[in-house]
Amino acid sequence: MPTEPTTKRSWRIHATTGSPVVVTVFALLLGLMVGAVVIITTTPAVLDAWRGLFHSWSAPAHALNVTFDNVGAAYRAMFTGSIINPPQLWHSLVTGRGWTNSLTPLSETLTYATPLVIVSIGVGIAFQTGLFNIGANGQAVIGGIAGAAMGSMVHMPSVFHLPLSLLAGVAGGALCGAIPGLLKAYTGAHEVIVTLMFNYVTYAFLLFAVLSTPFQQPGQQNDIGRTMDSSAQLAPLFGAHSGLRVSYGIFVAAAVVLFAWWLLNRSSIGFDFRVTGANPAAARASGINAKTVIVLVFLISGGLAGLAGVVQVASTTHYVDGGFLIGNAGIGFTAITVALLGRNRPVGIVWASLLFAALGVGGRNMQSLTGIPLDLATVIQSAIVLFVATPLLVKEIFRLRGTTQGSLQLATKGWGS
Amino acid sequence: MTLLATTPPHHAHPTDDRRVYAVGVFMALIGLFTLLVFGLGCVARASSSLTFNPISVVNAPWHVGALTLNARWTNVVVSLVILVGAGEVLLRRPRRGLMTRFGVVAVLFLVALLIWAARSPGPSPIDFINVTSILVGASATVMVLIFGALSGVMCERAGVVNIAIEGQFIAGAFVGSIFASITNDFFLAALAGLVAGALIGWLLAFFALRYQSDQIIVGVVLVTMLGSLSSYLNLQVFTPYPNLNLGNLAPNLPIPLLAKIPVLGPVFFNQPGFFYAMIILVGVVSFALFKTRYGLHVRAVGEHPRAAATVGINVVRVRYLNVTLGGAIAGLGGVAFMATKGQFQVGYTSGLGYIALAALIFGRWRPSGAVVASIIFGLSVYLSYDLVTYQVPVSIYVLQMFPYLITIAVVAGLIGRVRAPAADGLPYKRD
Amino acid sequence: MHLELRGITKRFGSLIANDHIDLEVQPGQVHSLLGENGAGKSTLMNVLFGLLTPDEGQIALNGEVVEIHNPGEAVRRGIGMVHQHFMLVPVFSVTENVVLGFEPTTSLNRVDYRQARDDIRRLSHKFNLDVDPDAIVENLPVGLQQRVEILKALSHDAELLILDEPTAVLTPQEIDSLMTIVRSLADSGKSVLFITHKLKEVKAIADKITVIRHGRVVGRAEPSASEGELASLMVGRDVQLTVEKTPTSLGEDVLRLRDVVVLDDRGLVAVNGVSLDVRAGEIVAIAGVQGNGQTELVEAIAGMRPVASGEITLGERDITNCTPRQALDAGLGHIPEDRQRDGLILSMSVADNLVLNTPRRAPFARRGTRNLAAVNTNADALVGRFDIRTTSTQAPVSSLSGGNQQKVIVARELSRPLELLLASQPTRGLDVGSIEYVHRQIVAYRNEGHAALIVSSELDEVLALGDRVAVMFEGQISGVVAPTTSRETIGLLMAGTRETSAD
Repeated sequence: MPTEPTTKRSWRIHATTGSPVVVTVFALLLGLMVGAVVIITTTPAVLDAWRGLFHSWSAPAHALNVTFDNVGAAYRAMFTGSIINPPQLWHSLVTGRGWTNSLTPLSETLTYATPLVIVSIGVGIAFQTGLFNIGANGQAVIGGIAGAAMGSMVHMPSVFHLPLSLLAGVAGGALCGAIPGLLKAYTGAHEVIVTLMFNYVTYAFLLFAVLSTPFQQPGQQNDIGRTMDSSAQLAPLFGAHSGLRVSYGIFVAAAVVLFAWWLLNRSSIGFDFRVTGANPAAARASGINAKTVIVLVFLISGGLAGLAGVVQVASTTHYVDGGFLIGNAGIGFTAITVALLGRNRPVGIVWASLLFAALGVGGRNMQSLTGIPLDLATVIQSAIVLFVATPLLVKEIFRLRGTTQGSLQLATKGWGS
Repeated sequence: MTLLATTPPHHAHPTDDRRVYAVGVFMALIGLFTLLVFGLGCVARASSSLTFNPISVVNAPWHVGALTLNARWTNVVVSLVILVGAGEVLLRRPRRGLMTRFGVVAVLFLVALLIWAARSPGPSPIDFINVTSILVGASATVMVLIFGALSGVMCERAGVVNIAIEGQFIAGAFVGSIFASITNDFFLAALAGLVAGALIGWLLAFFALRYQSDQIIVGVVLVTMLGSLSSYLNLQVFTPYPNLNLGNLAPNLPIPLLAKIPVLGPVFFNQPGFFYAMIILVGVVSFALFKTRYGLHVRAVGEHPRAAATVGINVVRVRYLNVTLGGAIAGLGGVAFMATKGQFQVGYTSGLGYIALAALIFGRWRPSGAVVASIIFGLSVYLSYDLVTYQVPVSIYVLQMFPYLITIAVVAGLIGRVRAPAADGLPYKRD
Repeated sequence: MHLELRGITKRFGSLIANDHIDLEVQPGQVHSLLGENGAGKSTLMNVLFGLLTPDEGQIALNGEVVEIHNPGEAVRRGIGMVHQHFMLVPVFSVTENVVLGFEPTTSLNRVDYRQARDDIRRLSHKFNLDVDPDAIVENLPVGLQQRVEILKALSHDAELLILDEPTAVLTPQEIDSLMTIVRSLADSGKSVLFITHKLKEVKAIADKITVIRHGRVVGRAEPSASEGELASLMVGRDVQLTVEKTPTSLGEDVLRLRDVVVLDDRGLVAVNGVSLDVRAGEIVAIAGVQGNGQTELVEAIAGMRPVASGEITLGERDITNCTPRQALDAGLGHIPEDRQRDGLILSMSVADNLVLNTPRRAPFARRGTRNLAAVNTNADALVGRFDIRTTSTQAPVSSLSGGNQQKVIVARELSRPLELLLASQPTRGLDVGSIEYVHRQIVAYRNEGHAALIVSSELDEVLALGDRVAVMFEGQISGVVAPTTSRETIGLLMAGTRETSAD
């Protein structure tokens, strides 16, 4: 038996043996470094400074200065735009005013993170069961449509309206998730292909929905759906006049986190999920019905994605349009990376969502302050996840020791049926 | 004592018959729909004209008269053809060629839809279908899909899932636009796109082979990364330096004489160089994969890497090579796409890479199949946009769903049975 | 070709898979390497074929000492291997498979299939290996697929052919034809190394026999040796196992098998009409060389493989073709043959693994919510009671030694109320201490008046544990005998000599 190391040494061993946490931290660093390299190689001012490298003795120092200035300004803008702007905060503390401005960055980050947490947890639950739900975005779209329809086309008091709208979103997403689940369980169709294709089916359905009479915003020719009644909206947490968008949706997200934590760590059915994900053969031998598990997981995963869709609508725009969750704005796609970064665990996903939300929100501030496009945030996000998914590479770069837990593997069988 | 059991040989799938039946019923439903809506839905005297003269008459020193059809009876005939096909499937229960039959039915359905959409009197302001311009217009989409599907063939035949085709399109289109703008030479642009795509392919191979990361995850992340990186660079580079993204269309290179053939000329022989490159590439890839020693090694590696290794084939090297080459082909496809649009735009490949993946699967991992699938999918994607002008009451978005729904049906084994290379997507470990 | 292995040693960590193995094969000779699964035969062949590098020892081909680093090199030196799991691409034609890696080409790097086909025809004619060069391999019966493997080896001019468990997947007819082929190959001057655990075949085909066990050569024999002698050599008697058994009174029948027929993965009959009863208070041990249907029988009882015909009753319940869940609920405790695949979730904690089969049962869960306190209390109790060596009950099972992993399974199964304990190869790969421990637990369980069915290919284990010993051969029970029966008699039964004795 190994002897217990002293506390001091155990910290050092912890930092150099490449435990998952350490790898994640180093992956974050690497991601930020990739972002810095992108900034350096594409910002004209920086490039100009380096071009003059041999013009004078002070040129190298100047070039470095310019480089640090630009990279620093970008990352500083990201921080102040997503978390806190210290001078602004100081101003508020001293004068007692301007709290709206001081708190807007955090509020925006939380607003962005709220649906992201929910959908990522759905993706994470599927990952823990060994299933890849790449169609969370489509499920969120359907959930958003269903929720917005319930919120705008039916009228009733808020006590019923809001829960029913949320439920409609869950049902829409679950329905959309059930199809790949059923196909996987009963025909063996690879869930990656089916869910991938479903994203586009749902997108076409979205355009169809927002342009068709019952759902289209009355008096509109454009691809805009009806606005949800205020009784179905998730109201801003600090009142409609606070100027802060963060809404009661965070309680929905908190409830989802608690539910997911219970499901994965405490419930019997979640135990079945994890057993199936870790070892399908042993799962079968211990009496677990794989088909039931697959369908159930896709129902839950799709339902959560649908919930995220409706939370997104009900807390921000209050209507869906043709650009709802498209491209890089698709939280269902970000969710894949968030779940991976959070190691598919509810609490980890909360942290990862906050980080990615901060990167996204901060990116906007960066764009307006420094002119560096906010897409840099997504580049950094994907770089981080690429490194997280390849722990061996991170260990090689930082010369971490210790046993390698293998790279992430999900696909246990090939395409087709 | 004998150990031979009396069970049937395991190659006869007991569910096959039910599946064939389902396909037959499905085809019959399509036929009935065509008959009732597209055929009998037209008034008896409704007519649709098919025209064949290209819009720009410069390259067409020929004239083909319009063909005016009675919309109702033409579609009734088309629907009857579909129904006969369905009847044949239901009665004879063929075991092979189901997907081909289904493809023909799909195309017939699209034809009937067009004739119905352009009927006169009818809601449409346009009462003719310009066959040539539809084919020419769709050929650009089809071409890009074929490039993507060929890239998939190269990678997946060697056992690596290339879900990053979309990313390679983006990289190719971006780099291609810069080179085309600077040099005004599409050959150089093509080369640059080739290299860019190859780099992305190599990156995928690097993570998948060296670190055995999940190929699907790496692919998805690469697509996200390249999408956002291209958007970033678009603002950071193309906005301050618009002359890097000028908007050049690749010139058509008419082939003497052949280009003058009515209809076929504009569609096949008056196209940009990329189109001809695509056709040559289809031939080259088919030949290389199925006739050469190299191709035999590739397919062995994709089916049974250990068996390949025991006869001295370097599995990892073959995979690196093929994924890089596959990336290069998709990169070229990206340049070709850019060259039909004139310049790089953010997000304009949206989903084409995934339709290409679908075409690859529908085409059963064969270049020829991928071509057929790309034609069907490309046509339906193109028509879904083109039909807007006909003010069709049914939503065009149903047509947009078409390629995806078909692919889902295919992987679920509802239409035909596809089989991916056995080792596709699985990491390979040397003992 | 003349092959000589001198003192080949191969270690995997602390495990010695091959321990100074000497072996000599003469040209024109069929040399049989006989041993149980896990005896080290495959390791030895992989060393010879360049898939593994030996830690010690030499390989000499035709008197010349060589080093073989990869399969390609082995092939070039004239070694051909017919793998147990065929190295054939199922969707390729026979021709494509045979030429793979050694293709004749024409211009443009094209494979010259015409020449390849001609070569195959000539070769198959020469060695009487009739097979259609254009057939797709997956459409061929297994016997023909094997011919393709042999052709493939011969086409690379192999002078030494290694056949790794070549009959494991064949029907008797196919086996007969394989024997003819092997004999004619030897007659044409090739040397053949024939690896198997089946005694009958060895006697039928071998010119020389080497028996290995636990990585060591334990004996050499001529084919004239009796099957009983060979069997007892093969199963050995290294460990003297003695377990205290108290006499118990036999109770009711707990498990009843009636004419049970089970098919294997390929649809061939693996269990052919087995009828057997296990009564409360006794251990019935199934002996037999591996691959005679034991695995399939166990899987059928556990609900993991369909029963083609016949009837299985556990206690009062008919569990024929039930699901694994139903079998567990009916009171079956199962220690699976492949514990890491079927019995444990390696990445999960010891505590979770200890309730793997009963996560929903009180007190471990109530109304869908797990009671982790109860799970941990249970784990603490079982870790103490079954002496599971682990740093913590929360440590992943993967951090435990093989013996302790098996103790986790034993503890899990024996700690809940059972009708029957079904254990398959319960001590495979364990150290002596753990073997003793597992044996004591099983016997203690029986001493309390319970029933157990044990399957083992270790004769010593069978004799030490069993109150009755049923011997399986080719899917049937060839005899049920008392554990005091002589090894020679049991060896004969294992080799298929039928006997209707004490039951």
